[in-house]
Parts: sequence; C-alpha cells; structure tokens
Amino acid sequence: MKMIRAIVRPESVDGVTEGLAAANFYSLTKINVFGRGKQKGLMVGNTHYDEFPKIMIMLVVEDESVDEAIKVIKYKSYTGNYGDGKIFITPVDDVFTVRTGLNGL
Amino acid sequence: MKEIIAIIRPKKVTSTKSALEKLGFPSITAVQVVGRGKQQGIASELDIEIRPSALVRSKTAGLKYMEYIPKRMLSIIVCNEDVDVVVKTIIEVNQTDQIGDGKVFICPVDDAVRVRTDEQGDDAIK
Repeated sequence: MKMIRAIVRPESVDGVTEGLAAANFYSLTKINVFGRGKQKGLMVGNTHYDEFPKIMIMLVVEDESVDEAIKVIKYKSYTGNYGDGKIFITPVDDVFTVRTGLNGL
Repeated sequence: MKEIIAIIRPKKVTSTKSALEKLGFPSITAVQVVGRGKQQGIASELDIEIRPSALVRSKTAGLKYMEYIPKRMLSIIVCNEDVDVVVKTIIEVNQTDQIGDGKVFICPVDDAVRVRTDEQGDDAIK
C-alpha cells in the first residue's frame, strides 16, 4: 500500500476530491496547511508573501491503483501556473480498521 | 522506527492519550482534519444531533450525507518493537462498534533527530 499526499490549491480541492470519488477513491483526509515552494513565496508590489495556504489531501491506496490516483489528482489540480502543488508517495507497511480491528484497507 | 498515523474520533483523543501515556508513549502530534471513508461521509457517523438542513445535500436523493466528517489525526513515532502494543491499544480504546471509528496506518521512518541534544535514531524518540 502507498500513501499519497497531495498539496494542492484550496480552490481546486473540490474538483480533485470529486474526481477521486468518480474514480472510486472515496476515502481521503483533508488537512489545512501553509507552505512555500521553490519560488520562495510571491512578491506582489512591495509585499512579500512567504507562505501560502494550501490543502493537503491524504489517501492510502493499493500499489496497483497509485498511478490512476495520481493521474486524477494531476489532471484535476492542473492550472499551469506556479503553485499547483506537489504529490508525494510514501510506503505504508500496514493498515488497520479500528472498528473491526482487521488488517487491510 | 515506524510512524503510526491514527485517524480517530475527536472525542476519543483524551482517552487515547491517557491510555498511551500509561504505556509510556506520551509523545503525540494531533492534527484537526476532515475526511471521509468508504461509507462516503454518512452523517449518522456523528453521535450528535445536527440540524438536517445543515448537512443534507440533495445530490443523492433520499440519502442523508455530509461530504466530510471532522476527525483527529494522531501521529506517533515509535521503535519497531513497540508498534504492535501501541496499535493494539489505539484500536481497543477507540472501538465503538459504529462506523467511523477510523483507520490506523503504519509507515516506515528512516531517521529521527532530537533538536535539543542532536541525538539520532532510536535514542531521539526514547
């Protein structure tokens, strides 16, 4: 299993989650985060914005569905401008459902 | 070293914390999150009475649902040999027999550093 953490624009979150739901990735977690990328924030006139609000979407999927989920996230969060976000994929050793105590997604 | 990411009900955080503290794992990072599981965000997951108009979305006719349910995400980093006991405790404390109890993910962690003393590895989290 893999954990996909996608940091996307707050305005594109609904599109991404709807797209993921349509592709049968219904379970996910949303976290409000602040961050910056390698553009070092943004200069608007004399004001320097260091960190921007973003939303991190976290979902855990089976190994074989990773590519499909990433494709959906990429397609739905793309605007072509700086700040579209990043997607990180990390390994997950084990998953338990609390209610049943059983292993697996 | 493993990271245990547990997504649980907000009202169970206190009992989970005290149970883990008794076992000697007091260190926790808790984050307020919203999310949904494979039940697609059913409102009956919540034990409290909510004004129906506040949560019913007529997208699916006749089905009461809200898109996201507030949860707490706990992140606990423990040594490899402690993973089983921590996961077992979290599951025991949080079981309510109703859907929405949450999930526990176990992810590998390569290294940890304690900032104050510059310790690395297992020393940093003990």
